[in-house]
Amino acid sequence: MGSDLQMIRLAATSDRGLNRAVLLFVLVVLAGCGVSNVVIDGSFPTPNISKIPVSVAVLYDDALREFAYMEYSETGQEEFNIESGLSHVQLFNAILPAMFDRVIVVESIDDAQSQGVDAVFAPAIEEFQLALPAKTKLDVYEVWIKYNMRLLTAEGDYIADWVLTSYGKTPTQTFLSTEAAINEAAVVALRDLASSFSLSFAQVPEVRDWLGSL
Amino acid sequence: MQHTLLKTSNAAPLIVFLGLLASCTSTTVDEFRQGDTGIGSDESVVILGRRQASDYETRSEFVQCVGERMTRGDDSIRVVPEQEFVDAMFPWFEPRTAPLRTRDLEQLMAEDVVATKMNEFGIRYIVWLDGFTETTDRSGSISCTIGPGGGGCFGFGTWEDDANFDARVWDVASLSSVGTINTDATGQSYLPALIIPIPLIARVEANACSRLATQLKQFVIGS
Repeated sequence: MGSDLQMIRLAATSDRGLNRAVLLFVLVVLAGCGVSNVVIDGSFPTPNISKIPVSVAVLYDDALREFAYMEYSETGQEEFNIESGLSHVQLFNAILPAMFDRVIVVESIDDAQSQGVDAVFAPAIEEFQLALPAKTKLDVYEVWIKYNMRLLTAEGDYIADWVLTSYGKTPTQTFLSTEAAINEAAVVALRDLASSFSLSFAQVPEVRDWLGSL
Repeated sequence: MQHTLLKTSNAAPLIVFLGLLASCTSTTVDEFRQGDTGIGSDESVVILGRRQASDYETRSEFVQCVGERMTRGDDSIRVVPEQEFVDAMFPWFEPRTAPLRTRDLEQLMAEDVVATKMNEFGIRYIVWLDGFTETTDRSGSISCTIGPGGGGCFGFGTWEDDANFDARVWDVASLSSVGTINTDATGQSYLPALIIPIPLIARVEANACSRLATQLKQFVIGS
């Protein structure tokens, strides 16, 4: 009788173990089906360029600060949520002080006016595209970003408004996860933005005219 | 049982033979010289990978490999690491802004900030590496099974690797192209599987790196 009871206990214990294993397996499968969150993280060098002698206020709106892009699978399910707002702010904070004599971050146009700056710079992301090797059948991860760069007077009047695109790619590597590869491609795209923005800023016709009028 | 043993004993020499074949990589190096070269003890070289093409990019690992090999040996040359140089020169040597011709380098050197940084590094030569390794002629198949009594693989796979790299050497002092070195390495790799897969990999890219670095070193030092 005692050994029967022990057998029942053993059977119950192994059942619980089996249930836990099944539960763990289901959780792992569910985790595999869920959306992967990728927060873009990278370091950006300071541009080695000549400074433009102007003071600029930077206005990062919430749309830029909290920018996230959702990539959907071919069946329409959410696959990757790419958060790049913070990395864009970090990038502009790294390049703008190297481009202009004085740079301050403001929360509104009114703040800029009270600081007595020459202009207000307000970048915006218009479009974000991701190309994965599984879909393109190429051996590269690609990121393409379209920006709208706006330069305003301290009073909020128009100076210039231009479109800039950036592109980044990273080859597929055996030991690199998809999330890490997306991050690398995005960081390359952000470097591309920094290089083309810093070198082309003074060549934008409206900006060139404005700088000439100062 | 005897039959299996016989098959295994036949397979051993085959694996040794394939191993010998795998170590055989054929490498061809072509040099085209356009100008005199030479390097001082206070001067250095930077090796940069070309990344403008849409369908491939020169791997930074290969660039690093060539650079490291050039710093070895008696006649070693000072090589500035690619990432350190590109970061210090930012934004002038990014994929979209890097000079494609020596005429572009001339314009770039007219920028004071670029010329100053280039002098700080003591750069005498810029070497542009452009190329990739391609895998072709894949054939064979391997199947693996696993069961309560154990598992194993059986089959045979083979493929060919072809590494083709161009190294264009620019002289920063004369702002001109002084030559090009092309390296083409090919080799066959084998993957026989008898219970466990045994990879017999041809070290194509490593051989291309070694030969190119040796040739580049001699080229830069001059005759």
